[in-house]
Amino acid sequence: MIGRLWKAECLKIRRKGFWFLAVLGPFGVVALQAVNYGLRKDYLLAQSEDDWGYYLANVGAFTPLALVLGIAILTSFLASIENETNAWKQLMALPVSKAGVYLAKFAVLACLLLVSSALLAGFALAHGLFLDLGGAVPYGDLFRRSFYPFFAALPILALQLWAATVSQNQATPITVGVLGVILTLTAHDLPDWMIWKWPTLRNGWDEPLFSALLGIAAGSLLVLAGMADFARRDVK
Amino acid sequence: MPYVVETKQLTKRFGRQCAVAGLDLNIAKGEIYGFLGPNGAGKTTTIRMLLGLMKPTSGTIHIFGKDLRKERIDILRKVGSLVESPSYYPHLTAYENLEAWRKISGVAKTRIREVLDIVRLTDAAHKKVKHFSLGMKQRLGIAAALLNEPELIILDEPTNGLDPAGIIEIRELIRRLPAEYGMTVLISSHLLSEIDQIATTVGVLAKGRLIFQDSIEAMRRYAQTHVLIKADRGDRAWQCLLASGIRADWRDGRIVLADPSDERVAQAVRTLVRDGFAIYRVEEEKRALEDIFLQMTEGKAG
Repeated sequence: MIGRLWKAECLKIRRKGFWFLAVLGPFGVVALQAVNYGLRKDYLLAQSEDDWGYYLANVGAFTPLALVLGIAILTSFLASIENETNAWKQLMALPVSKAGVYLAKFAVLACLLLVSSALLAGFALAHGLFLDLGGAVPYGDLFRRSFYPFFAALPILALQLWAATVSQNQATPITVGVLGVILTLTAHDLPDWMIWKWPTLRNGWDEPLFSALLGIAAGSLLVLAGMADFARRDVK
Repeated sequence: MPYVVETKQLTKRFGRQCAVAGLDLNIAKGEIYGFLGPNGAGKTTTIRMLLGLMKPTSGTIHIFGKDLRKERIDILRKVGSLVESPSYYPHLTAYENLEAWRKISGVAKTRIREVLDIVRLTDAAHKKVKHFSLGMKQRLGIAAALLNEPELIILDEPTNGLDPAGIIEIRELIRRLPAEYGMTVLISSHLLSEIDQIATTVGVLAKGRLIFQDSIEAMRRYAQTHVLIKADRGDRAWQCLLASGIRADWRDGRIVLADPSDERVAQAVRTLVRDGFAIYRVEEEKRALEDIFLQMTEGKAG
């Protein structure tokens, strides 16, 4: 059942620019560093002994922002496909469980973001090699900085998906999304329990892995809670 | 006799407002059930509950003899529906829209061609639906409802927004469904004439209550038309008719025949002509649905 729903969702996001956005996000993040290093490469290389580490840290500075912004756009976009002609009623009158529909939508979004994360790793690696940063490529660090933010952002994805699917008016989830972006911008000053801080991978234990693990745990809980609430409601 | 759709005391409240109250619908197999009522009577709310889109506040729904609360997915496998305005994904073609729904219901891919053919959209199959006319979108909605070869098809105001040719076409299509495919049809409308032409059984909903549920023949007796005669020296003509034993009323300068049957009308005209009254008009007065509703509600009260 979930497999069928998944295929239907994949069909529905065609020609809507979802894949374009999934590529644009990581491309933009790396492009910012292309500009940065293009303008003042010598200065930046002089900042640290570990040129690869410094470069990846620079890339990583914009990853959480792109991720949170991307989540807000994609979730709202995905909900708008059903909202546009109120296709919810048509969809839910099919032999499907509401929970299944909700999970399929979450899965499609998570998959898109995962692809974005992989692309981010690829783009960063390519650009790093192009810059000729020297020394061995720190694949571990590259992996952590590309994929951990995705896992750490799962609670935000779950929250935004819930907001987008249960709101009559898409202004509500967009507002939540914009607030989330602002919170992520000020993540430095946020307490550790705020989910918008997690994609920055900064936490009191100084261990990025904790942010990712917390994201997976809290994300799963929030998806289940959102799903339960979605299934309980009357269809729009 | 087992009913395809059977509701017991079906009720839906929105806050303090009662949208549907104590509905006992009975729809037998192979019927075209006309669900009639003015806008806001609760038709769409009822249909949404029948499809499991809304949970009833109280009461039960059985479809194919199964409890909707417990076996919703099983039931919906054999139900097709078009609720309110047609829903579609405008950025996809007609074919892709149907494919998106087919993937979920899991019927054979060839079925898409069949339903496109039934609603005559084959030529437009690969056009994006956003470029469709309203009539085409409506037909696509019906195609979607037919996709899973349903045993029960629920159509909410399916002729809304169609031009006369489109209305006739859809009507012909609906009429074919029980005979050719063994389907049971529930069709809602706020137009008596619409229901009158295709339904075999009628349920009338007013202010959330089912005030009438019977065969179309019984409905027609309620909806009986009046025949009005306008004649030279009208009041004298009226008295002349009464004198000849034809029951009639005098209203707004016209004679209203109590019995609109063909023989009576012919008799009345013959009488008037014979007695030298010039007849200007013999016309049928169609009764507004509201009047019939009023009569039904009064009938219930009295």
